[in-house]
Amino acid sequence: MYFLVFTMKLFLYLSEILGSKIVDRDGKIVGKLCDVSMRMNAEVYPRASGIVIEQGRLKHTYAHVPFEHVSQLDEEISLDIPVGEIEFQNKWWKNDFTLCADVLDQQVVDTDHQKVVRVNDVHLLRVDNRLYLAHVDVGLRGIVRRLEWTPLVDAMVKLCSPQSKYLTREDFISWKNTQVLTSGRYKNVLRLDVARKKLSQIPAADLAEIMEDLDIYEKLSLFKSLETPVQRKVFTDLATQEKQDLIEQLSDMEAADLLENIPADEATDVLSTLSKEKMLQLTRRMENETAKELRMLLGFAKDSAGGLMTTEYLYLMREGTVADALKIIKDNVNFPGNVYHIYVVDDNHRLLGSTSLRRLINENAERPILEVCLPKNIFVRTDDGMEEIALLLEKYKFSSIPVVDNHEVLQGVITTDDVMEELIALAWSKYKEKLV
Amino acid sequence: MKKIATFFKEHPWFKNIWIFLAVMGPGIITANVDNDAGGIATYSLAGAHFGYTLLWSLIPITLALIIVQEMCARMAIATGKGLADLIRENFGIKVTFYLMLALFFVNITNVMAEFAGVAASLEIFHISKFISVPLAALFVWMLVVRGTYKSVEKIFLFACFFYIAYIISGFIAKPDWNEVLHATFMPEFTFDLKYSIMLVGIIGTTIAPWMQFYLQSSIVEKGITPEDYKLVRLDVVGGCILAPLVAFFIVVACAATMYKAGIQIEDAKDAALALQPLAGNYASWLFAFGLFVASIFAASVLPLSTAYSICEGMGWEAGVDKRFEEAPGFFGLYTAMIAIGAVAVLIPNFPLLGIMYFSQVGNGILLPFILIYMLILINDKDLMGEFVNNRAFNVIAVLTVVVVIALTLAMVFLTLRYGAG
Repeated sequence: MYFLVFTMKLFLYLSEILGSKIVDRDGKIVGKLCDVSMRMNAEVYPRASGIVIEQGRLKHTYAHVPFEHVSQLDEEISLDIPVGEIEFQNKWWKNDFTLCADVLDQQVVDTDHQKVVRVNDVHLLRVDNRLYLAHVDVGLRGIVRRLEWTPLVDAMVKLCSPQSKYLTREDFISWKNTQVLTSGRYKNVLRLDVARKKLSQIPAADLAEIMEDLDIYEKLSLFKSLETPVQRKVFTDLATQEKQDLIEQLSDMEAADLLENIPADEATDVLSTLSKEKMLQLTRRMENETAKELRMLLGFAKDSAGGLMTTEYLYLMREGTVADALKIIKDNVNFPGNVYHIYVVDDNHRLLGSTSLRRLINENAERPILEVCLPKNIFVRTDDGMEEIALLLEKYKFSSIPVVDNHEVLQGVITTDDVMEELIALAWSKYKEKLV
Repeated sequence: MKKIATFFKEHPWFKNIWIFLAVMGPGIITANVDNDAGGIATYSLAGAHFGYTLLWSLIPITLALIIVQEMCARMAIATGKGLADLIRENFGIKVTFYLMLALFFVNITNVMAEFAGVAASLEIFHISKFISVPLAALFVWMLVVRGTYKSVEKIFLFACFFYIAYIISGFIAKPDWNEVLHATFMPEFTFDLKYSIMLVGIIGTTIAPWMQFYLQSSIVEKGITPEDYKLVRLDVVGGCILAPLVAFFIVVACAATMYKAGIQIEDAKDAALALQPLAGNYASWLFAFGLFVASIFAASVLPLSTAYSICEGMGWEAGVDKRFEEAPGFFGLYTAMIAIGAVAVLIPNFPLLGIMYFSQVGNGILLPFILIYMLILINDKDLMGEFVNNRAFNVIAVLTVVVVIALTLAMVFLTLRYGAG
């Protein structure tokens, strides 16, 4: 994913491609782009699953083409199939989640600021030939862009007030902080049927979302009425500000207990937003092991491998066998971290290698674990930056990667989920620097 | 004592009244604001120049008003969204933006007309417009900036009560009721050019673009649920009958006096002054008072409704209950409209008459678009669910819209050709 940071025209607006001419494999005109459907699975940033093509002057017909067939996406969009293979219908059935029908011009909840806003444009991230929904644009520039007045308005503003904030300001909301609303009556009822974001993987997600619409006292009473395991899940899914508010309202005992039992990287994030005093108070109340771990994580820079990693991972001593490894995985079905990778360490907890569930299941159970390991040189160091991490994750297509310190002692692991959020933010800031 | 109170609260008959009182407001207010300075002037002219001969037109107008307004109320209930919201979500930003731009300019000229109405009505009581207009503007502005939605609505509802002034002055004018009823229900049509212009003018002032936005938004703002739909309909239909009823009495008052005496008038102020020798001081004062209330009422509602619609469509924060910093776009637009409207009236030699022409033409051009969008929206099953138009109603609605559009375009044409009224 290294190239991601340096390719130009990485980000594009939906308004820029809507209505673009679409040509087929042989350069024949198929129609124009009228909508983009999205894959609504567990990804934080949903990926485009297909495009909707509109054909005809007076009477429109529509066709849905899977995104895999899009070979080029610019002012002109090319497909890798001939026009004859595309089936047009009178009506495009809006079963999927699509950008024009469900996002553009609609009202969404900015869960970060807890207010309802209207989407003026959609900001897309293009990686390779994949399209991700990164931000929604709710600002004035979005309106002007949609009206196709940007050059005129920019020129006028530059003339009148060259320092105007209008020229550089982007009012974006990251998709992970965006909640789509129903298009029917009840304005603030959440749309639960749209499976999306990591929230939807767990049943507690809707609770977290609903909690965001409550004031702090209602929130507290709802939260306290939940069972402890649900509490942990809900808490993990709250926005940073919400977490902070909640922790401050809970008693120290309750807060410490909660933070101990959620993934360490999450706990670190929360603790780092609190005042130093409060943080020390809470860590003092925690059991020693956890507190030590948290204090260590708090010492790392936020966007370094050390700051991003979680200390929850599965590991095995060097003497172990494939059967031992499988047993560890089986025993940890409910493990909060990544269960697909298992790391092998020596007596000093130095990293010797790593292996994945996929490798293990095809192996003879008696084989020593070290024989089925990947070479040990796939790791990052605690002070490595985002780009190194992204490069390795992309290169080996792993869903997680180990982090070691200078003595090669295993400290934690980083998962793709952790990185993706940060990476999009980073890519965007770099891209903006180039523009200026 | 307590028993009596419980009786009034619990008895099913009274219970319904309480619920209705809670739901009531949007429909009645919208319809009454429709009788604004421009409307009163038009009705006065119709009565003074054509006697009772135009009274019949108020019946089809009432029906058309009910059909159009009921659709707005139904959309509000089914979607929980304002009309500008719906247009934005279903037709995109370009359509919305230009529609809102047009609405803004048309309504600014309407607001000017309202402040001109304030000035004219108070001049009858010998109050200079340089005192009355700034004070009126300040009052109107404070009402919304310092008020909450509930208090504003109560004041508006209270203002509706003052329209009774026109009904009283209608009686004071001592019309020949036989003749009135005959002209209303068994009209004889005479179609010369001037008569047609007047007829079209009455229709043009009665169904205005802003009303659809205002009615829908205020029902949404009240948070009325589908269970109360029947009561909302009652409110809307009630308003749509009440407003033409007031118009009816204005026409009657002017017809019974000025038409009989053969006096030609130019505007509503002339009408109030002409009533003095013909029907006495009280009739004249009531007429002027009614004009004042109508003008100031419309001057509060129009900027409010416009600011709401624009903010809805553009996705800006809006609401009477918000603070200035929370909704700068909303309060900015609201303030600007009042300021421009009031200042324009005070500028000497300001071409107010030309502006009025523009206002009528603008209203007329805007209305067809809004009605057509409304028809498309209300036939969208995904959006409306069980509240979608049924076939029979659709035929009536489409016919109404077509007739209204045809007449409105005729008005635009006639206004451009012969000038207003």
